Amino acid sequence: MAKLGIHDLAVRYGKLTAISDLSFTVAEGERLFISGPNGAGKSSLLGAISGAVPAAHGRIEMDGDILSGLGPERIARRGLSMVPEGRRIFGGLTVQENLMVGTGIRRDRAAVADDLETAFTAFPILRTRAQAPAGALSGGQQQMLAIARALMTNPKVMLVDEPSLGLAPKVVDEVYDRLCSLQALRGLTLVIVEQSSTRAARVGGRMILMRGGRIVADGDAAGFAAADLLSEAYFGDPA
Amino acid sequence: MITQHRIRRRMATTTPILLALLLLAFVALTLALGDRAAARMASETLIRVTLVVGFWIFAGNSGVISFGHAAFACVGAYVSAWTTLNPAMKATLLPGLPPALAEAHWHVLPAALTAGLVAAALALVTGAAILRLSGIAASIATFAFLAMVNTIWANWTPVTGGTSSVVGLARYVTPWVALGWAIAAILAASLYAASASGLALRATREDEVAASASGIDQYRHRLLAYTLSAFFCGVGGALAGHFIGVINPDGFYLSLTFLMLAMLVVGGIGSLSGAVIGVLAVSLAVEALVRLEKGFTLGTATFALPPGSQEIIIAVAMILVLVFRPAGLMAGREIMLPARWVTGRGTSQN
Repeated sequence: MAKLGIHDLAVRYGKLTAISDLSFTVAEGERLFISGPNGAGKSSLLGAISGAVPAAHGRIEMDGDILSGLGPERIARRGLSMVPEGRRIFGGLTVQENLMVGTGIRRDRAAVADDLETAFTAFPILRTRAQAPAGALSGGQQQMLAIARALMTNPKVMLVDEPSLGLAPKVVDEVYDRLCSLQALRGLTLVIVEQSSTRAARVGGRMILMRGGRIVADGDAAGFAAADLLSEAYFGDPA
Repeated sequence: MITQHRIRRRMATTTPILLALLLLAFVALTLALGDRAAARMASETLIRVTLVVGFWIFAGNSGVISFGHAAFACVGAYVSAWTTLNPAMKATLLPGLPPALAEAHWHVLPAALTAGLVAAALALVTGAAILRLSGIAASIATFAFLAMVNTIWANWTPVTGGTSSVVGLARYVTPWVALGWAIAAILAASLYAASASGLALRATREDEVAASASGIDQYRHRLLAYTLSAFFCGVGGALAGHFIGVINPDGFYLSLTFLMLAMLVVGGIGSLSGAVIGVLAVSLAVEALVRLEKGFTLGTATFALPPGSQEIIIAVAMILVLVFRPAGLMAGREIMLPARWVTGRGTSQN
């Protein structure tokens, strides 16, 4: 069974349709990139899966359980965690407090200390700055904190919205390195919105290309550049 | 090995102790003056500490400004009056009280606890509706709640005495009694702030979207803090009633709301120490102004400020703090012992 299933999803903001008739599945442990031009509906898709944006139509399932209709906090409790666009760390709290916030919902309190250790090992800078206010971290450090915070809820599926936004290429490399090794370590299923398809191809994984709220292509990220599907999606006639 | 986190936690536990010692020193100093006016000022200040620290439990952690907390003080004051006043007096002053309350003649301590519990119960019921609203809408709804309570209290004459004052409350509130409740409020506030719920609520204050993505049910934590917060405002109201001996609904309305807000803004809403320091700073300033309003003599000339100028000066002080030090005197920091004092070895880990 697929880990995550999206069936006939539609998202509307008033009269504006952001997503229509969208269906796809994600296998357990898969790494899926969502790419496409601005306004393609990528962030709306993640918002709908995480419960932050209500779905106008359709069904979202995780492990066969229906998620659509639940609030974001209840979806997070089911094991689906979101790293929001623009990071949205808790700037006035310390780095360690940011990490502990996500653990409030967990039953396995004993494992929290281990996970904190895992997060600190994966992102050593967070250990160094553990008692500093999170707002004082650099952009790249804040992105790592946002990822580590999402991990502290002990998710099975993690959605990451534009992790490379506003970061230097070298820092983006580092963020993806850590993300991939954490995925391997924890057996996570990852869904990542990434504007840069060359970046997605370099990191590796499956890629879905969206345009105008629909899927225009779905396949191996590395194959996209060669097939010229990208320029078609960005510059071609609207479907 | 002591981790930095453990050190910080130990430092945080020194905050309520230091604040309690600060208030103790304040009482000891004012009583040492041997001046009756100074002793009154001490009691009044400590009652305000209970009120403002109660207020801070909700406003400080949630970041939602409430205009309704004076209503909890109002309810607390009347609950304590209903349960402690002499039954013969209640028969003439408040003929509409139900028999159980009309005959009640309780000791003041259970009455104060009941005042807090009734205020908390009222917060639980009204908060269930109000706190589902987002930030500014919730603030405005609390203001509507304040206006409702005041109108009901001013017009429900057989039970509340209406706009005429209820008199004859036992005046048992000495500086020591007020100190005891102020310290209790500080302890409760720091325990709440250190709890998982306190952390969750501060996360929603920083970013609602990210907090819900972390699995936090904002409404539940807000409601818990609101209820706990109302308990201490209810107790504070009861203390205020028994301090002056006379209560009426307008004593717990706009001017009290304004004073509580001004104190929290001046001290800084971001920390418990800010709430306490704000009360002390504003109360001492007000005391100085009251003495100026009465006038003082310099040589042959007598100087006096026009009556009512203290409200204006508090308002100006609040605006100046907002302009020049927007985060308040404490700017979100807590009073705590330095790291090398709590590690026990004199070695700093930083």
